Amino acid sequence: MKEESHASPSKIVCEDITKVFIQKGKQRVHVLDHISLDVKENEFVVILGPGQSGKSTLLRIIAGLETSTEGRVLIDGREVEGPGPDRGLVFQGYMLFAWKTVLGNVEMGPKLRGVPKKERREIAAHYIHLVGLDGFENHYPHQLSGGMKQRVGIARAYSNNPQVMLLDEPFGQLDAQTRYFMEKETARIWETEKRTILFVTNNIDEAIYLADRIVTLEGKLPGRMHVVYDVDLPRPREHTDMAFLKLRHEITEASALTL
Amino acid sequence: MSDIANEVRKQVREERSFTVGSVLKNRWFLHIVSVAVFFLIWDKVAIAKAFSSGLPRPYEVMQQLWLMMFDPLAGKTLFGHVWASTQRILIGFALASVIAVPLGLLMALNRYVNAVVKPIFDLLKPMPPIAWISIAILWFGIGETSKVFIIVLGTFVPCLLNAYNGVRLVEPELYDVVRMLGGNRRDEIIQVCFPAAFPAIFAGLQISLSIAWTCVLAAELVSARSGLGFIIILGMNLSRPAMIVGGMVIIAIVAWGMSQLVSGLERFVCPWKRQIDGR
Repeated sequence: MKEESHASPSKIVCEDITKVFIQKGKQRVHVLDHISLDVKENEFVVILGPGQSGKSTLLRIIAGLETSTEGRVLIDGREVEGPGPDRGLVFQGYMLFAWKTVLGNVEMGPKLRGVPKKERREIAAHYIHLVGLDGFENHYPHQLSGGMKQRVGIARAYSNNPQVMLLDEPFGQLDAQTRYFMEKETARIWETEKRTILFVTNNIDEAIYLADRIVTLEGKLPGRMHVVYDVDLPRPREHTDMAFLKLRHEITEASALTL
Repeated sequence: MSDIANEVRKQVREERSFTVGSVLKNRWFLHIVSVAVFFLIWDKVAIAKAFSSGLPRPYEVMQQLWLMMFDPLAGKTLFGHVWASTQRILIGFALASVIAVPLGLLMALNRYVNAVVKPIFDLLKPMPPIAWISIAILWFGIGETSKVFIIVLGTFVPCLLNAYNGVRLVEPELYDVVRMLGGNRRDEIIQVCFPAAFPAIFAGLQISLSIAWTCVLAAELVSARSGLGFIIILGMNLSRPAMIVGGMVIIAIVAWGMSQLVSGLERFVCPWKRQIDGR
């Protein structure tokens, strides 16, 4: 990573991100168009957009798993040049190591960074406790329900103590009840251990429930930034709160989309 | 903790009462009935001489096996012949898997190795291993070498293909996980590639084992002075059907036992694998 001369006060800065995929047969797919975004330290920002709006691609570019065609991403003022343990990524499909127990999954980050066994056990135990999975340390992923799998995913991403957490539609595969419950848990975990969070979703209620700020994307490719909403509702929030519903209505109207 | 209790899937074991209906629907009861009926029909068909005198009664087969346990045939008791076949399989199977599995993994991980090995492999792959028997005997004589050679050829293909496909079918996002957590290419291979490919490798070993039995039998039928294939051929030459069927039964039992051993090894190496009840 290159050191930048002008240290930015923001945690994550996206400068003019444009992404064009070139598919086989030289077909160009324009996915993201001049996205600029500033996320402050410990801010919870939700990127809200329907399917095929390029929001996951944006997250993968910030993660360093994709390169942008134009523009750049800065974390703490340093340019992102690839994936790394300074950012924690939570996947939509959980992506747990099926051959590792809950403990083995959560301690993988410290293990790969060469943290000694005793120390990484303590780290793993801490985050397993944070996500409420005490007692499941020795379970294999196939023995867990979807919600519990994603708890492991969150604990694993936390285990390297990254300052930035990236969550890519983490609850997209859960049933409505579990999803609602996991949103509450996410808010609780974030309040307990504050991080700068960038959370991608297509669920408007999830966005309002969690976000300090919501960035909506236009509903078609290439993905462009649409409207940014500051959500200053008190926490913990209620889905049936008047202010909640008012904002929900506002976003739905402005997007002209059924989200 | 009580919060997540509703997420935990509890396995509820039904309490069943002991009734006539429950006995009739019991899995083990049905197993016993089906096996008993099978042997009964076999016995009736044998007594009725439906295949003239070509089908021995189950009882005659048992008697023949008992006899062979103590009376040597061509200098070996039944155990000697079982060991002769088993030894050939173990040597051939071990040689093939030790070469084919690493080669398959290497082909999946390195496209240059793949580009060099793949065309030759594809050329030889469709050739049935048994087609090699005659040339093997010309090359190595009728001794052990030609039999082991056939087994190596036959088991090589599924060992290699399964190792190769096991790596190729790994979910690519798992590599992203390793990268995000701070790992490098070496970590991707050790932490993701190999463990993810283990179940496929073991499936390949299982297929190889059954092919190994086919190969050793074919080789022994062509030329051998020992082994279970030799017993079967001897039974045919002496017109003793009980000896032939006895040889077949022993092959089934030994082959089943070896496949159980591989399954046991798999359970030991891959304890995370969901056990599928599909026997």
